[in-house]
Amino acid sequence: MRKLALFVGLISWVFAAQAMAANVETPKTDVQIGLSSETVEIASNFDGTDIVVFGSIENGEPELLAANRYDIVVVLFGPKEEIVVRRKERKLGVWVNGESLRFGDVPSSYSVATTRPLDEITDAEDARILQIGLKNINVLPELDQNSKIDIAVFRKSLARLKVSKDLFLERIGGVEFLSPTLFKAKLAVPANVPIGKHTAHAFLFRDGKFVNAQFAEMRVQKIGFEQFTYDLAHQNGLLYGIIAVLIAIATGWLASVVFGKD
Amino acid sequence: MVRCHIDRLVSVLAFRCLPGCHKVNIYLPIAEMSVNVFVLFGMGAGVGFLSGMFGVGGGFLMTPLLIFYNIPPAVAVATEANQIVASSFSGAIAHFRRATVDIKLGMMLLTGGIAGSALGVAIFSSLRKAGQLDLIISILYVVFLGTIGSLMLIESLNAIRRNRGKEETVTEVPTQQSWIANLPFKMRFHRSQLYLSVIPVLVLGMLVGVLASIMGVGGGFIMVPAMIYLLRVPTNVVIGTSLFQIMFVTMFTTIAQSATNQTVDIVLALILMIGGVIGAQFGAQAGQKLRGEQLRALLGLIVLAVCVRLGWDLVTVPSELFSLGAGGGH
Repeated sequence: MRKLALFVGLISWVFAAQAMAANVETPKTDVQIGLSSETVEIASNFDGTDIVVFGSIENGEPELLAANRYDIVVVLFGPKEEIVVRRKERKLGVWVNGESLRFGDVPSSYSVATTRPLDEITDAEDARILQIGLKNINVLPELDQNSKIDIAVFRKSLARLKVSKDLFLERIGGVEFLSPTLFKAKLAVPANVPIGKHTAHAFLFRDGKFVNAQFAEMRVQKIGFEQFTYDLAHQNGLLYGIIAVLIAIATGWLASVVFGKD
Repeated sequence: MVRCHIDRLVSVLAFRCLPGCHKVNIYLPIAEMSVNVFVLFGMGAGVGFLSGMFGVGGGFLMTPLLIFYNIPPAVAVATEANQIVASSFSGAIAHFRRATVDIKLGMMLLTGGIAGSALGVAIFSSLRKAGQLDLIISILYVVFLGTIGSLMLIESLNAIRRNRGKEETVTEVPTQQSWIANLPFKMRFHRSQLYLSVIPVLVLGMLVGVLASIMGVGGGFIMVPAMIYLLRVPTNVVIGTSLFQIMFVTMFTTIAQSATNQTVDIVLALILMIGGVIGAQFGAQAGQKLRGEQLRALLGLIVLAVCVRLGWDLVTVPSELFSLGAGGGH
């Protein structure tokens, strides 16, 4: 219901915007977006969900719109984190963690949806600057001057591991036009989604050229018991530990009452 | 991969038995992952069954199982310590009622145990920062499970062979090791009728404490034989006294891990505890129908199987050479 209401709202708002635009001289082509929900709540039954990004192209040139010459890329960035990538190597017959490389400011999750394959939408340079596509996520290694580590291999492995954990995701064709100006993109939010502030970016392209972008924020938060437990564990570990012990004692005591023979 | 298969299998089974409950995933707030309740409950009950049947704690089986199920080893180890509090508590109550606990000896073991546990938690933290925690946990398990499993198997096979020849064998109690008898700082333990140096007691307690925090085990599999063969504690107080020590050491470990590493998952622990205490009841009943040597041989085989599986992962070329770790803190 909320999605529908939002959708209807968007449509009427787009018409209003277009009516207004008629009075203004050479209005700039723009993109507007809204999210199906602004918070994702993690409760005990949370097993991943989808976020729908609705949007519209504003003040598009009618002939270009009719010819589908606009493209949309929607990206959902998770909160930034620092991450260490480690490579196993064989030492004395056993596989142990050897070389490691630390990356700062890595988006903890990254989900991208596009209207078409990326190389048809824009050139490599723009894609890199806008961080569109898995190979263009901007992660900076924290490196010693004298290190001879092969950064590219570690960077690729970081993306591959994130993909294998469902945290990095690419959906070519995941953006769907509902009308020449209205689009929607469905982005997956995995069960292990990092908590914190996520940002959805919508990029508008016309004939392979970047036109404009817009962003919207979304919060992922644990609620109720999950939030309480997590916060307590991280803010007051001592108390958390004492509670954990009391629960264990209660369970053990209950077991001896229920089953106890001697 | 393995987890997906187990999940699917259990989902299918649960769907058959309980229509409508086929997808009972629960989110673990500390491990930060969604897991199947039936799988975890089943693991708790299965290990509980074995521990009831064999009269062992089961931590040394539970922790590897959790790791096989993709629970981060750091969470598996710390949470298992919490579960052991529950299982040792009910055992310790029973021994208290029967007065089969040497409290003074238990307190000395506990003193060493708390020091060992604190040391272990510190080692755990630094290994985790260095990215070598998972490796060390695996190696320790391979070494301990391999040793204990082999000894158990050899001993029980010998016993089975002996019993074929004779009906009854008297196990000779070894004389107290002379080097232990010569150690200073002697103390009298009335309940055990021992006059003994506190050094081996403290060292033993400490060793078990370190294992509790790094491996997530109670340590009974080391403490019980050491108390019998090295310290010559009478067998009627050995189990109760070791449970007394294990209970308090795992309590301390749970609190220390929570405060230092934030790796105790209460939800995971509670599922395992409930599965464990129920499984243990059925295991204890099943155990009475089997003969001691056969039980020990079977347990030895199970222990060796887990050891081989962990060891195999250490020496074969991993399918993925790279891994990710949190980079927080320098």
